[in-house]
Amino acid sequence: MTSRAAFLDGAKDVAGLAPGVAVFGLSFGALIRARGIDPIAGAMSSVIVGAGAGQTAAVEVVVAGGTVIVAVLSALIVNARFALYSAALAPMFGRFSRRWRYGLAWLVSDQTVGLYGRGQARWRTPALQQYYMLGVTLPMRTSWVGGTFAGVLLGPVVPGSWQIGFIVPLVFIALALPGIRGLPEVVAAVTGLVAVVALRGLPLGLNIVAAALLGMTAGLLVRPRFAPAPPAHADSADST
Amino acid sequence: MIWVVFALAGIGTYLIRLSGIALLANEERIPPLVRRALRMIGPAAMGAIVGNSLLLDHGAWRPFGVWHVASLVALAVGVWRRSLGLTLLAGAAAFAALLLLGL
Repeated sequence: MTSRAAFLDGAKDVAGLAPGVAVFGLSFGALIRARGIDPIAGAMSSVIVGAGAGQTAAVEVVVAGGTVIVAVLSALIVNARFALYSAALAPMFGRFSRRWRYGLAWLVSDQTVGLYGRGQARWRTPALQQYYMLGVTLPMRTSWVGGTFAGVLLGPVVPGSWQIGFIVPLVFIALALPGIRGLPEVVAAVTGLVAVVALRGLPLGLNIVAAALLGMTAGLLVRPRFAPAPPAHADSADST
Repeated sequence: MIWVVFALAGIGTYLIRLSGIALLANEERIPPLVRRALRMIGPAAMGAIVGNSLLLDHGAWRPFGVWHVASLVALAVGVWRRSLGLTLLAGAAAFAALLLLGL
């Protein structure tokens, strides 16, 4: 009974976020069709990978003629930020049962990781917090997968789908912004943007991998003006 | 090939998602440099992908036009509202409107 209440409480907290994820899924599904990717593989990628930015990065490299290794590498570089989320969740998840811990880890996403503090404040026992986190993550993943499937099915009939490629820069602009919290992040993003163009002669999508690493290095060289005080629950919550 | 890409990306992403949860005890912290690097790699990679998909078209410069203007609209709305859904909708609406205007 209360586990049900905890689940519904979590679901209520993400109700406002789910439509945005569904729209993203819809566009990703349409992109799959427009790029000529196997529709079943594309749809299943939302179940298997469950991280839209990484999936989109992999698709772009494959379309550019990149190898499997470069495509996977690009996806993992884009998804490296999940390591921060994982660290932030470690104290909370450490008290969950092994099955829950490993299951929830697979479901956590950009928009849901920030809510764990709220779950801990409202639900006292790990058993109930598990259900809260499931209520937060499951609807979001379902929206993502549902949106993708719908996009794959509807893709060919979307008007103007020949221009669907615009969804790629659009999605990455939308996804990058919440993670940009200061000058170092701005420098990293702008360096990545400039470097990828400067390195456009590199084959097989390698310019993306190289530019991402250059951008990261540039961001590291900029000292933040104020060292942020270590927050109570690690950080991450408000990064992308 | 695409199945292999998604399978490996899925396994790798899951291992990244599991990394902190599986390896860190409660009190442990990631070293500050690693933490900063992880925070920088997201914006850097996303900036690179924006550059690759917006400024370039099949490896050559994309002529200035609808793509750039609609991206600027999305950027402005994103900075203003910080919402994934609104940013996507604003960019898509601007893009569709500009196409309809025949630009």
